[in-house]
Amino acid sequence: MLWKILLFVVMTLIIIFANLWPPPQEKLGEVSRIFYFHVPVAWVSVVAFLVAMINSVQYLRTKNLQYDTNSAISSRIGLLFAFLATVTGSLFAKAAWGSYWNWDPRETSLFVLLLIYGAYLALRSAVPEESKKAALSAVYSILAFVTVPFLVFVVPRVFKSLHPTDSIVDKSMKIQMSGQVSSLFFPSLAAFTVLFFWMYHLEQKVEMKSKKEA
Amino acid sequence: MKPKYIIAAIVVIVFLVFGAFSLKKSLTPYVSFAQAQKGGTVQIIGKLVSGTDYYDTQTQKLAFTLIDDQGHGQMKILYNGVKPGNFEQATEIVAIGKYQNGTFEADQLLVKCPSKYQGLEQPK
Repeated sequence: MLWKILLFVVMTLIIIFANLWPPPQEKLGEVSRIFYFHVPVAWVSVVAFLVAMINSVQYLRTKNLQYDTNSAISSRIGLLFAFLATVTGSLFAKAAWGSYWNWDPRETSLFVLLLIYGAYLALRSAVPEESKKAALSAVYSILAFVTVPFLVFVVPRVFKSLHPTDSIVDKSMKIQMSGQVSSLFFPSLAAFTVLFFWMYHLEQKVEMKSKKEA
Repeated sequence: MKPKYIIAAIVVIVFLVFGAFSLKKSLTPYVSFAQAQKGGTVQIIGKLVSGTDYYDTQTQKLAFTLIDDQGHGQMKILYNGVKPGNFEQATEIVAIGKYQNGTFEADQLLVKCPSKYQGLEQPK
């Protein structure tokens, strides 16, 4: 219980501080503040898809349906966060580049990612038989995750893109942020990650309850 | 059982490779300057050739030259509209429009600005 209250306090502080504390960034100005949400949200989607993939591997090894449920939950939350990353990114793009959506490689790659995980959910709802559904979606989930590092991290660095690639780390993986920015960014990243695991846990409880009642 | 897995794996790999190649082709909307000259509404990306930009405040027309990332192709751009606020700082500029009679007539300009997130003292 304590950690939930703590998360609530930390999240509230992050929202307040993100809006007030670091100076508006050069050139971007006040709109740069979306950075403290846009990046963590995108990060959480990667974490969620990773958790889904690990659960899929576990399912194929053990054939325990709980892992299948976990994988589905995590993919769902991942898709939600990827969608949020797209929306915040689109708003950010309008302010920073001048267009909500121009099919920049970053935008296209994220769109493809949404399609891939959207198809995962479609696949799940198309197969009625539990164990078959679990096996198929586990294999699909593992294959889907193979594309994640490419679509999320590689594409904007290989293709010419308007999306910045060196705001957080540069090519030699050195952290590029400093001062108030990093003091706020890393807690935000951590808080969003904890928030994900909370949502994940809650969903598990909901699924368990609805299974018991069924 | 074994051959079945191998065939499945091959099919999967073939599709992944095929998917990767077709994705690679359609992933970027930015075409080369040579491609843009063939006509049609396209997006081109390049760097501003410094000193070539001229903005007419009366007619609100912005003219400038872009150079591509290999550094040999150049393209004259004419943009009908208000000059974007961060035009000078742009590290890269995207022009969306059509090539007509020697110039690229842009309907929309997008700018890429250096985005550094540093908590330095606030420049007032």
